Parts: sequence; structure tokens; C-alpha cells
Amino acid sequence: MDTKLKNISRCTSMKVTAFTLIVLLLTASVLLIQYAIFLEINPETLIIREYRKSSTFHLRVDRAIYQTLSLMEGNKDPDQIEDIHYYITDGDKTFTNIPNGEVDFFKEEEYFAFENGQWSVGENTSYRIPEVYYPVEPDYTMYISFPEEYMAEKQWEWQADRDRLVPIAGAAIFCLAIGLLLTIYLILVAGRKPGEAGLHLSKLDRIYSDILLGALIIILFFWLVFMDYSQIRGLVSGELNTAQIYYMIFIGIVTAAAATLGGLILLSMVRKIKAGRLIKNSVIYRILFAIYDLAKSLFDGRMFEKYPLTRSLHNRQWIFIIVSVTLVFFTFLFLMVPPLFLLPILLELVVVYWYIKYNNRTYEEINKGFNESLEEQMRAERMKVALITNVSHDLKTPLTSIISYIDLLSKEEDLSETARDYVNILSEKSNRLKHIVSDLFDLAKSTSGNIQLDLETLDMKKLIEQTLGDMEDEIQRSGLQIRTKLPEKAVNILSDGSKLYRVFQNIIDNALKYSLEGTRVYVELEELDGQAIATIKNTSSYEMDFTEEEILQRFNRGDQSRSTDGSGLGLSIAQSFTQVTGGSFRVKVDGDLFKVIISYPTTGGDYHPI
Amino acid sequence: MDDARILVVDDDREIANAIEKLLSMEGYQVIKAYNGLEALDALVSNSIQLILLDVMMPKLDGLSTTLKIREDRNIPIIILSAKSEDSDKILGLSMGADDYVTKPYNPQELVARVKSQLRRYIHLGDVGNVHRNSRIVIDGLCLDKDAKQVIVDGEPVKLTAKEYGILEFLIENAGRVFSAEKIYERVWGERAYSVENTVMVHIRHIREKIEINPKEPKYLKVVWGIGYKIEKY
Repeated sequence: MDTKLKNISRCTSMKVTAFTLIVLLLTASVLLIQYAIFLEINPETLIIREYRKSSTFHLRVDRAIYQTLSLMEGNKDPDQIEDIHYYITDGDKTFTNIPNGEVDFFKEEEYFAFENGQWSVGENTSYRIPEVYYPVEPDYTMYISFPEEYMAEKQWEWQADRDRLVPIAGAAIFCLAIGLLLTIYLILVAGRKPGEAGLHLSKLDRIYSDILLGALIIILFFWLVFMDYSQIRGLVSGELNTAQIYYMIFIGIVTAAAATLGGLILLSMVRKIKAGRLIKNSVIYRILFAIYDLAKSLFDGRMFEKYPLTRSLHNRQWIFIIVSVTLVFFTFLFLMVPPLFLLPILLELVVVYWYIKYNNRTYEEINKGFNESLEEQMRAERMKVALITNVSHDLKTPLTSIISYIDLLSKEEDLSETARDYVNILSEKSNRLKHIVSDLFDLAKSTSGNIQLDLETLDMKKLIEQTLGDMEDEIQRSGLQIRTKLPEKAVNILSDGSKLYRVFQNIIDNALKYSLEGTRVYVELEELDGQAIATIKNTSSYEMDFTEEEILQRFNRGDQSRSTDGSGLGLSIAQSFTQVTGGSFRVKVDGDLFKVIISYPTTGGDYHPI
Repeated sequence: MDDARILVVDDDREIANAIEKLLSMEGYQVIKAYNGLEALDALVSNSIQLILLDVMMPKLDGLSTTLKIREDRNIPIIILSAKSEDSDKILGLSMGADDYVTKPYNPQELVARVKSQLRRYIHLGDVGNVHRNSRIVIDGLCLDKDAKQVIVDGEPVKLTAKEYGILEFLIENAGRVFSAEKIYERVWGERAYSVENTVMVHIRHIREKIEINPKEPKYLKVVWGIGYKIEKY
């Protein structure tokens, strides 16, 4: 039952009905009050039963005192004073309108007397403190009284007003009371829905509180202005004239509209209060919070944490400049208000502190990052060198044992023929492994830049001749012919002689290994535009189905059909050594023609050894 | 010579054993040590004529051991190391070692080098780098101008007239680099024209006769792209 009642009370139609009723009741009461105003009924009649006790009467007394005094001052015609009896004297002059000048006459009526600076009144006369009335010179003596008939007439009018006003006022108060009760009901059920515990906010509630409040104030203001304006038209007493009826209708419409809007706003704010969002959901709060958050983010370092460090420096600099300029401006502005101009200066100090502190922090971070990367780089470099050295040692040590024991094995005399064959193969392969390991580390050191170079000016022509002389045996054994085309004079370049010897040795070795039987290997050298260009050409004994890039890739031996001796690293080493000593190394494949082109910049001046 | 005692120092026992076997087959007595400190102890308690020394060893490494030995001893030291950089070799030799062999070594070459060092130490004694009028000695290489003979580690080497001429010229000017033309003009006594190959072939032949490993010559060196020289010790 209780729940049912709750549900009914929360039902939308109930709320709408209540809201409509409130608007109607409010409008009705406003119209009733306006009707009373148009009828020019003295509102005091509602509270005070008798005319002689009302402040209206006392105002009349005051006017009578003033009029009487005016007689004494001599700027008023006695004939103009009506309705009252008076007597005034300063001992010299006397003004009165009573028949025989007897002051006892006054005691028969409602009277006010001023004698020896003191006020006194009739026995049944309603009396107010003297200060209310117009001040009277203390040496005056004054009597004022209101005739019986006058008072009776006034009381009758008073009663007539009262008779008309009481029902109107009663109705208006009744309307307001019911309206208030309904309003309380609406406030209680605002935001609730039948059968649900939660609070529901309408779209209206999304509007910021201060905007709603502002709208409410504006509505009230315009309503009051409108109401005030409409009072001027209240000219005719008695019955309402046509204009006033139209006005009443107009007032009703305006009031109903204002009440509707105002009511909606009020209820929205009630819902917000219930949800605890009245303050949070306001423009002022948002602005203040944004400022607070901005300031906080500047100080807890949150502001620029997502930016790269240099960017945060840059942004911070801008903020510093803008804020400082603004503060300077305010300082000048506040110079007119002496104590206030200290405020921007203090703020500027805070900003300077902030700027220095956080910039220092960023610099530290940048420094840290820089040192870390540098250290990382150096560590990687050291590791690379250590790795090459250690792996080299770790491979060479067991290999030393292998080669040593194979050698000892081969010296055993009681080996069978087969075993001796096996030992020979082992010996051959272990020696090849030795060369591969050696080449591998030469290449690793060279490509990682950990190679010792001994650069000097040397004659490339001579070096080629020396290399060919050195390899004379291999050349003759291969059955191939070497055709050289070398310039007459020296071709001086800057390089490492022993490395460059390895380069040519490897290339010629390669040519000897893979050339077609009976063909020639061409070794040429020419000097062209400051470049010493050496070309070694040979005709391949097999089809070269690899590209120029592939042949230079480490460990790539191009084709299975290639001979099984050598490490297969010869050309890679040649390329790496050439590049590391400042030359360029290219390979060209044209059909069966295999061509290696090496070039170094020449060192101009002729260099002649002894 | 047969009773020469050799100290083999290597932390890898298999390698030390292999060298022991190799050398004992050649008739040498071998004492083994597995680090530098043991090597120094062995030197005190034995009469040693030659040391084969590894570099990377625990406790005391080969280079420090060499320095220690060289404080009071003159016996030949051959360093046997997996480090093959030129800088490693130069460092080892400058520490006082007489020779430097890289691992993996060629057993025949190692034996040859051991023999060479022993010959010089035992038979030639303190001949060292003494210059007599007619004799120029560079380490184990000796040029006898009177006999027109070259002796390597105490053993005479057979050379052709041109080979002897080249060697004499280079030994007399040890340490200096000469171009092929210069050598040709001096030795052949003719104007040189396209002689690089001729000289180079002769140089190669000389190396085969005087060097233990012609591919890694100790005395006669090619300065690539410039010329030739005899290393000055």
C-alpha cells in the first residue's frame, strides 16, 4: 500500500497535474491581488479593523499637524483646512476654528494636544510615539481633534474596503497555500520515478546551474518590471474598466508563463541538489576547476609529461613568456592601487620558480637520457669487440687441439690404409676450417670497424705487380694466363698495403678458382679523373645465376657447383677491406664475364720510394 | 741438442699434451705447466732451454710471465696464442719473447721454430747481434760477406748469385725500404724496366729458403705497393 502510494506519487501524470495546478493557483492569486490593487483597496483594511487605529489614520493626523503648523508659519490659508478642529498659539498669535476658543471643546472628540513640549491625547484615542509626527516648536501649544461625523464616515469606508478585501485575500492566500503544498510535493518527488531507487536527471539538468539561476533571475526581473508597469494603469476605482480587464488577462498569461518557466528551473535545481551536482554542474565551478587543474598540472609535472623533452621545454618557455607579459601588464595596471601591484610581482616570482624548477628537471632528464644512450653505445661497442675476441679464442682453442692430434695421428705408423685416408681428409678439412675461422674474424673485425689500419701512400701499380709475383705459383698451377694492362707511371693512393694485398689476392684467387679452363684473366689499372681504377675480369666456368649483390653477401657462395675449397668469404673480405681503407668495390656480371672494379682516389703528388 | 728441455705452458691440458707428444717425437724432453705461476716454479726447479708460452691463462697470463722471466733469464720464449692481431704480436715480442706463433698452429712450423730458437740459443750462444767486419747478424739471420754465405739459425742456406745479391743489399741496409727498380739496378747492374715481377719472384724464392713460414716472413718483408726490406731487430 505504501509502495503503491509512492509509485502513484512518483507517476509523471501526477507530477504534471500538480505542476499545472501550481501554475494556475499562482496565477490566480496574482490576479486576485492585482484585482484588489486595481480596485484601489487599502491593504491595511485587511489587518486593522478600525480606522482610528490604522496607520492611514495616523498619516492623516500627521498631515493635520503639518497643516496647523503651516497656519502658524503664515503660509497657509485657514480656509483650506477641512474636516478637523484645531487650535495653535505661540503666546503671541493664535489660530483656531473652534467656536469660542475653549480648549475643553477638543476633549469631546478624538484629540491630540501639545503643551509645554509634551504630547497628550484623548482617553480613547489611538496613540503613536510623538517622533512619528511632524516636529513642533516646544513653546507652541497646539490642539487637534477629529469630529465624530468625520470619524464615522471614515470608519464606514474602511469597513466597506474590508468587506471587499477579505474574500479576495482569503482566496489568494488559499491558492498560495495549496500551491505551496503542491510545490513541496513536487520538490519531494523531483527526479524520482515509480519503482526505481535511482535519481533521474532530465535534459534540462545538463544546463549549467548558474545559467539556470541567471535565467530564473531574469524571468523574475522582467515579471516584476511588467507588473510594476501595469500598476500605472490602475486609475479607476470601483468596477474594472475594459482596459483593466485586458490587462488582467495579459497579466494572467505572463504570470502563468513565468511561473511555468520558473517552476521548471526551480525543479531542475532541486534535482541537481538531490544529485549533489548543483555546484559541480556550473560554469563558475568548471572555470575555477579548469584554472585549478591547469595550475596543478603545471606544478605536478603532469602538463608536459606526454611531450618529448625538448617540446616540453619549448611549451614551458611559451607559457613563461605569456604569463610574465600578462603579469607585467597587471603590475602597471595595479600601480594605481598601491598595495595591489605586489600581487603580480609575487605571482611572477612563483612563475619564475616554477619555470626554473621544471626546466631543470627536464634538463636533467635530457642529460640522463643522453648519458644513457652514450653509455649504451659504448657498452655495445665494447661488447662487440669482446664478443669477437672471445668467440675467436673459443673457436681457435679446440681447433688447435684438433689440428694437433690429427697431426699426431698421422704420424702413427701402424695405421691401416683406410685409416690413413681418413686422417688425410680430417687434416685437409681441419685446415680449411682454420682458414674459414681466420677469414670469418677478419671479416667480422673489418665490418664492425674494429680493424687496425696502417694507412700510407703507396703505388697501386706496384702493389698489383707484387701481388701477381707473389701468386706466381698459384697462377702457373691454374693453367690460366694473366693479362695485365698497367700504366707506365706510378698510381699513388692512400691505403693500407697489407689489406690491399689481401684484396687483390682474394680477387685473383677467386678468378683462378672459377675461370673457364684456357681463358685469360685480365688485370687492368688506369687513372681517370683523380681515381685509380683497377679492374679484374675473368670468364666464369659456370653459369652465374646470382646477382651482383648476392655474390657479395657474406657466406653466399653463389652456386653449389663452386669449388669446395676456400672459405667463400674471399670477395666479402675484399669488399670490406677495400671500403674500410677508403676505396670502393663493385662487382659486375655480364653473361659469363665476371668483373671486379676497385677504385681509390689518387693522392696527386708523385711518391717515389728510394 | 737432444737433451734440450722445453717448458710447455698452456691452460688447455690437451694442447699441452699434444705439444709434449709432438716435441718428444723430435727427441726433446718436455715439462708442462698450466699457468704462469706454475711455469715460474718449473723454471726454478728445472734446467730449461726453451719456453712455449700461452697468453690467455688463469692466475698469471703469458705476457706477465714473459716479463717476470726476462728479469733474470735469457732463454728463448716462443709465445703461442690464439690472438692473431699484428698488435698482439708486436706487444708479445716487445715484452721480450723471441717468437710468436698463432693458434691453431701448424705442427711442422712449430717444430721448425723451436729448432731454430734452440740452435741459436745452444750452439751460437751469445753471438747475438755482434757485428764483425765481414759478418752482419740480424737475429737468427747471419750474412757472411767473406764466404758470400747466408746462415739462418746456424745452418747455411743455398742461394743463387742474384738471390745472395738481393739479400746482401737488403741486409746491409736493414730497416730501409727499397723499390724493385732500385734493387734491380743495384743487383743486376742494368737499367730497370718493368722488373717488379722479376724481383718479386726472387724475393719469394729467398723467403722460401730463409723463412720458416714464407707466408708470414720474419726477416724479408714486402712493403705492399712500395718495396721490400729486411726487418731490423
